[in-house]
Amino acid sequence: MDQEKKKIIQFKNIVKKFDDQIILKGINLDIYENEFVTLLGPSGCGKTTLLRILGGFLEPDKGEVIFDGKDIAKLPPYKRELNTVFQKYALFPNMNVFDNIAFGLKIKKMSKDVIEQKVMKMLKLIGLEGYENKDVTLMSGGQQQRVAIARALVNEPSVLLLDEPLGALDLKLRKEMQYELKRIQQEVGITFIFVTHDQEEALTMSDKIVVMKEGEIQQVGSPQDIYNEPVNKYVAEFVGESNIIPGRMIQDKLVRFDDHNFECVDVGYKENELVDVIIRPEDIDIVPEGQGKLSGTVESVLFKGVHYEVMVETVPGTHVTVNMHVNRDNANVKEEGDVRISANDFYLDIEDMKNWDESDLIARADAQAWSKETDEYFPIQRVDTDLKDEIGEYEVTFHTVNGLSISRRIWVVDQKVVENKKANEAVSAFNFFKTVDEIKESPALDTELKTWANAQGWKLDDESETVDLSVDYNFDPEHIKEGIYKVTFWTTGREFKIHTTDYVEEGKEVGLTFFPEDIHVMEKMGF
Amino acid sequence: MRKFRQLTIPYLIWALVMLLIPMALILMYSFLEPGNSIVHFRISLDNYFRFFTDKDFLVILWRSLLIALKTTIICLLLGYPIAYFISRCNEKLQGILIMAITVPMWINMLVRTYAWIGILSKGGLASWVLSLFGIKDAELLYTETAVLIGMVYNFLPFMILQINTVLSKMDKSLLEASADLGADKFQTFWRVVFPLSLPGVVSGITLVFLPAVSAFFIPKLLGGGQYFLIGNVIENQFITVGEWNFGSSISMIMAIVMMLLMMLVRKLDKKSGREDM
Amino acid sequence: MQTKEKRIFGKIFMALAIIFFYLPIVFMVVFSFNDSKSLTVFTGFSLRWYETMLKNHSMMESLYVTLIIAVVATVVSTIIGTITAIGMVYSKKWVKRFIQQVNDLPMMNPEIVTAIGLMLLFITFRIERGFTTLLLAHIAFCIPYVMLSVMPKLRSLDPNLADAAMDLGATPWQALTKVIVPQIMPGIVSGALIAFTMSFDDFIISYFTTGQGVKNLSIMVYTMSKRVNPSINAISTLVVVFITIGLLLANIVPIIREKTKKKSQQQDGTFQKRMGKGPKMVIGLLVIVLAISLFSYKKAAEDNKPFVGQTLHVYNWGEYVGENFVSGFEEQTGAKLVMDNFESNEQMYIKVANNESYDILVPSDYMIQRLIQEDLLQPLDKNRIQASLDLLDPNVLDKPFDPGNEYSVPYFWGSVGIVYDKRKVDIEDLEKEGFNIFLDPKYKGDIYLYDSERDSFMMALKALGYSMNTENPEEINDAYNWLLQCVQTMKPEIVTDEIIDNMAQGRKALGLVYSGDATYIMTENENMGYFMPTQGSNLWSDGMVIPKNAQNVDLAYEFINYTCQYEAAYDNSSYVGYTASNMEAQDELAEGEFAGIDSYVPRSGNPKDEVFTYNENTRKTFADLWSRIKVAASNAAD
Repeated sequence: MDQEKKKIIQFKNIVKKFDDQIILKGINLDIYENEFVTLLGPSGCGKTTLLRILGGFLEPDKGEVIFDGKDIAKLPPYKRELNTVFQKYALFPNMNVFDNIAFGLKIKKMSKDVIEQKVMKMLKLIGLEGYENKDVTLMSGGQQQRVAIARALVNEPSVLLLDEPLGALDLKLRKEMQYELKRIQQEVGITFIFVTHDQEEALTMSDKIVVMKEGEIQQVGSPQDIYNEPVNKYVAEFVGESNIIPGRMIQDKLVRFDDHNFECVDVGYKENELVDVIIRPEDIDIVPEGQGKLSGTVESVLFKGVHYEVMVETVPGTHVTVNMHVNRDNANVKEEGDVRISANDFYLDIEDMKNWDESDLIARADAQAWSKETDEYFPIQRVDTDLKDEIGEYEVTFHTVNGLSISRRIWVVDQKVVENKKANEAVSAFNFFKTVDEIKESPALDTELKTWANAQGWKLDDESETVDLSVDYNFDPEHIKEGIYKVTFWTTGREFKIHTTDYVEEGKEVGLTFFPEDIHVMEKMGF
Repeated sequence: MRKFRQLTIPYLIWALVMLLIPMALILMYSFLEPGNSIVHFRISLDNYFRFFTDKDFLVILWRSLLIALKTTIICLLLGYPIAYFISRCNEKLQGILIMAITVPMWINMLVRTYAWIGILSKGGLASWVLSLFGIKDAELLYTETAVLIGMVYNFLPFMILQINTVLSKMDKSLLEASADLGADKFQTFWRVVFPLSLPGVVSGITLVFLPAVSAFFIPKLLGGGQYFLIGNVIENQFITVGEWNFGSSISMIMAIVMMLLMMLVRKLDKKSGREDM
Repeated sequence: MQTKEKRIFGKIFMALAIIFFYLPIVFMVVFSFNDSKSLTVFTGFSLRWYETMLKNHSMMESLYVTLIIAVVATVVSTIIGTITAIGMVYSKKWVKRFIQQVNDLPMMNPEIVTAIGLMLLFITFRIERGFTTLLLAHIAFCIPYVMLSVMPKLRSLDPNLADAAMDLGATPWQALTKVIVPQIMPGIVSGALIAFTMSFDDFIISYFTTGQGVKNLSIMVYTMSKRVNPSINAISTLVVVFITIGLLLANIVPIIREKTKKKSQQQDGTFQKRMGKGPKMVIGLLVIVLAISLFSYKKAAEDNKPFVGQTLHVYNWGEYVGENFVSGFEEQTGAKLVMDNFESNEQMYIKVANNESYDILVPSDYMIQRLIQEDLLQPLDKNRIQASLDLLDPNVLDKPFDPGNEYSVPYFWGSVGIVYDKRKVDIEDLEKEGFNIFLDPKYKGDIYLYDSERDSFMMALKALGYSMNTENPEEINDAYNWLLQCVQTMKPEIVTDEIIDNMAQGRKALGLVYSGDATYIMTENENMGYFMPTQGSNLWSDGMVIPKNAQNVDLAYEFINYTCQYEAAYDNSSYVGYTASNMEAQDELAEGEFAGIDSYVPRSGNPKDEVFTYNENTRKTFADLWSRIKVAASNAAD
């Protein structure tokens, strides 16, 4: 074992459950002396739980917490040689700055002189000399933060735990405190274990970052490792900004994505293994059209202060636009006594005409019958139609048990399919009929529009692979009136985010280039 | 919102008539000549003079303060652990326990006090319990002990509720911080929990001490006719003797003594614990 | 981590606390079903106290008054308190501070001070005390509590909320009701609950601000509780039952609603959701109020009786009428009889002198004399009462305090003497020492004095051989010292009507009592005897009088005549034990029910027996000296 790198804490297979929910799924982690370790992850990933187990505020259900060679998992907090800086500082509001910092020392029954000396030293370290008699509740967030740190450090713990201590501060103070914390850690030379969900904070301060997700550790490494060599899409997305593209490993040092092969430096994958490829925005350069490894159109340029954030579309999306006919509310409702029946006109694709049955028609027309009073549904008993396997206009009549019926129209059309060879995809959708209320009351309009228009997208080379669609429309669903509206369904193409200091014009055709070492290949995440 | 300001006008008038003028009247009556008519207006200090020169009245005032103090201390000693226990229960149980303590307060105070007469009288439940411990023929009813029991019984819930409110609202991370800094349960309690609960303790003390000093039906029901507290003296002056001026001056004296005591208590609170509303 | 032991200790402690809180309540409920009057021994199950309670409409009405006052005071104080609190947020600093300071008055002052302030307010401005004043007083002390509970919620509200609402087109009123009030609803609801609890439970303020016989539960209990009266347990049990029902409703209704909501979800769930916790409580309360009002107003006015719809206000001694007296009178006349009780003549006098209006008073001899002197009584129309006077014992008619019975008609009469436990007291001591037995150290701690300045001084003066109507300051001073010595050396208990039950149970050896109470005590406990010292005693009588400000004189005459009849007089006398003034009833009881009980028929023929006469100067002296003696007694007890 290295003299400098002595293990101070070892988590061994820590499991923690709250009400049957597993928060930590067997954590194994070593922490060394004098390290600044950050536990990074979104809220609910278990990072705070792990810290609280270390602090002694929670007991793990399983596993050991080895501290200096001893298992401390069952030791109460006040017997542990660690101290914590709490999320909202937890300063004692009934004590002034001095008494807060001196608390731990007084508990240890140190002499007055020693206490005074140590507290003063701490105040100097945190830069709050002369504040010892201040009321902690009247101090600013940053000052409270410092007092909390001093209160913990004055006990000379071998490890300091910090639970999202900068969360409550504003941006500027936060940056300041990041440096301050790092400085203090280097000055006192002990291990800091820092919990945060802010990746930038983690990258700035840490010697070692532990990325967590849903109770599991994803990656442990230096900030550089984590940033440059994320092990998977999750880590890559969580740490820094990135372009993540699904790809396929052709062979060692050769990866294929977006219908091109690229050289890279990654080895050790199986041939044809599906992988995720990550290219950081700052690793891509914009070059004149035709000169890069990829080419595309500049979609947007945002000035970000130091650099521009440029979005370049290398593969365009696919669009299809259909008409939405909006009818009066009761146009497609009939009622007789207590019974109501409703149905919509609709379009059918000539290709779907080969084998239809009544239930298809009921579904497409959204035909329903119900009791006005009890809201009970009645079955549609009979469907009459003159529908034929030809393009044209037909009539369909739905009957209820009670003899009430409603007639609607069916248009059989040759449906529009928009193919996009460059993007290797196709999109299709139908015109459709709806009432004002159906649109107003729709809980998730985007999804329902897709259903109503029967909108679909797929890969040209493999029709079973679907492509996600987005919806665009220019009406206000809350205040929609009768009429015909255009609805567009579209796929996103491939966009790259690029950070550059050079300005480019929007709409310009450009080339993109990057070096083989800027391509990072990661294993596909299993779900 | 200037317009909303006008909303206070009705109450300003109301408060003037129903809260301020009555106080002014007590003050006025207390300075008038003894006698129960306001025909002859002669301002004098006779009533106050009479109170302060009569040793017996001073003794009663002292006794009232003393028994109120005893009540308050007992309520604090019993109420704090109960409030603390409740605050450490889970939320559901807390709700039930708080309810259990509140419900008796909805049943009339006099009625509940009346029930104690039966329990405390000779041959009643209390003397039976005492006889189990070898104390035979204990006289409980019409003693100071009975008055004390009655007062604690009536006012303890106030103490518990006040302290519990503060304790259950207390930031749990303060306790963790204290443990983290090496304090065990006991030290955490005395250095953090207790000082922080002082505002609750103070309002609990106020809510117990105040009615205990001026109580007059509890001593009358449980203490017997010869057990006089300052409240009984005032009642007696107004209801039986009819010397309103003297009664007013005693009320005034009591109000002032209480005000001074409450200021003192609040000051103590400001010194040790803080946490304004 | 809490150790298990500590938790167990805590649990036991908690359990004891709960027992402590609920013990009296359980006790009350159990003994409300007791067959006998005892509060310590359960002799068997019976519902008789519930019958007594239901018959006693003043008891049921007190419950009704309590609830109506509590509900109205809660509603009004919640509305005013909330509106004022909202206004305060937008007010200038001095207004805020002023209101806060004024609100502190009722909260930081002992309740009795607030009560007295309000009483003085009503009296000074000649507002007759009754239901309205009671309600006003309750509203007054509830508002500060409502504001106290609403203010924190308001303070945590975004100050721009109202502006935002108005910016979006709301009128100030809409901003208030649609935006601000819903936000602070939890505070309003808890404020309303506090107000209700305070009002429902209040005694002290009510006690000083009510009048005209309007009583809430507390006042009723206070005035009735001098003697053991298990129907108080019965009515309390009723309250417990109502509260339990209310609580169940508040907790079960949401569960049921939850279930029905699930069923009706397809139809319309929004209406149900709007019903928050507040309305729930309100509904619970309304149910309770309705239930009680049904209880107390089940009898509609009866037809074709001469005084239907009228009310008679009587101010009488506590426990001075028979069980069927009130209902009998109401039956006969169709009127409603409201009976207020006093403990002493002086207490009665203060109310009457302060213009409280009653139709009938029942003061004692010397007090009748005083009332006549101060011109507070109406002379009686002899034509209307002559027939009744003829029924009465001539011994009580035409007495010096009211020669020719111009103003009063005798009600009860009797003497004052010593009730003693034959097992503990040597009759020779009594015969030898007379009233001086109250200074005999042999009986230290074993005596009762009666809380009446007149009779205490009577005892002292007689013991010293003086006249009880003396005006000689030296004699009075001797008597004062005699009493002082008694309270300082003998540890007496100074009681009023409690003496009756306590002596009946034999709690002490000796007590100064009225003959009527002695009669009751002796019928209850055969070991008790009644002794009239040869030193002389007070021969008293209480009479019915009609004050000048009586509002229903006709009904008052009706009352006098009714009371003088044999049936009513017999009922009263046999139930209470005092000597009936109706000759026939007196004779019958003396030979029948109270045969052998010498206290029932007052002694005659002892020249030292006197009747009190009124003297303004000695009255003041006695009152002042007696209150000093009580204070001294209280201090000697330490």
